[in-house]
Amino acid sequence: MSDMEMSAGAGGHAGVMEESPFAIPSGKLAMWCFVLSDAVTFSAVLFAYGYLRVGSADWSTPFQFVPSVLNGLVMTFVLLTSGLTMLAAVEAAKAGRTAAGTRWLWATCALGALFAGMHLMEWRHMIEEGWRMFQNPLGGSVHFGAAFFSITGLHLLHVLGGVVALAVIALGFPSGKYNRIDVEITGIYWHFVDLVWMFVFPLVYLMNAK
Amino acid sequence: MTANESAQGPGMKFFVAVWIGLMCIVGIEVIVTYRHLPARDLLVWLLLLAFLEAAIAVWYFMHLKYERAALVWSLLPAFIFVVFMMDHVWPDAFRVATMRLLAQ
Repeated sequence: MSDMEMSAGAGGHAGVMEESPFAIPSGKLAMWCFVLSDAVTFSAVLFAYGYLRVGSADWSTPFQFVPSVLNGLVMTFVLLTSGLTMLAAVEAAKAGRTAAGTRWLWATCALGALFAGMHLMEWRHMIEEGWRMFQNPLGGSVHFGAAFFSITGLHLLHVLGGVVALAVIALGFPSGKYNRIDVEITGIYWHFVDLVWMFVFPLVYLMNAK
Repeated sequence: MTANESAQGPGMKFFVAVWIGLMCIVGIEVIVTYRHLPARDLLVWLLLLAFLEAAIAVWYFMHLKYERAALVWSLLPAFIFVVFMMDHVWPDAFRVATMRLLAQ
């Protein structure tokens, strides 16, 4: 069964309908459109951060290598590795290896949860140091906290949403409730979350390293 | 190309190599950061490396390379246009940095 037929349902009208110009299932196209709009959202947030940083004469650069940058590096390793396990899940699902696909989905889910946990610990550490949305314990621009918590918070929300989505797909994939197309679509979302971090880590952590 | 063909990938060995490449780029970002370059130079380097990482991730991890060109040409120009339009905030940001109150 082709991807298009699987998406439309074997008993649907896929056979008599004109082929999609993109030759992908509608769900996958919808996810690409969502990724595009979400990329614009993150771009806007990162531009706002850049605007605040350029416009503030007393911008703080509080991140020391240990613990903040090192923690960010480990988080990057965890998230990039989760991208690899997601790829393994997609490859296994495409090959019809349902059990292996499910295992890789759970592995991705676990790595996503680990990333979220590390991120929350980083937040706790900063809050204990006195950082708030509009409070800077170093006495510099108060916009730092607003930018940091907004950007990383929006990304964390996406990670948590992805972990829930992965768990739902992993629960329904073995029973056939969800198919390989659903695994692929979730994969596109997860890799996007990974991609956003590729900008957040250098721009928010490394640019503010001591 | 059919939908089935478009979904084919090169296999896990290749993806592991890409993953190692991405980790190397992250390592280069950290090394560049601690060379204590001027902020503007550091920003340029980090953005170049981040865009390289993102392009690799979109192309291989998100399988855009294996989709029809029509999908690529539908998605990328729209994104580039929006980012280009957002890029117009910078003169105002620099104006804020140097803004002074009018003399009484």
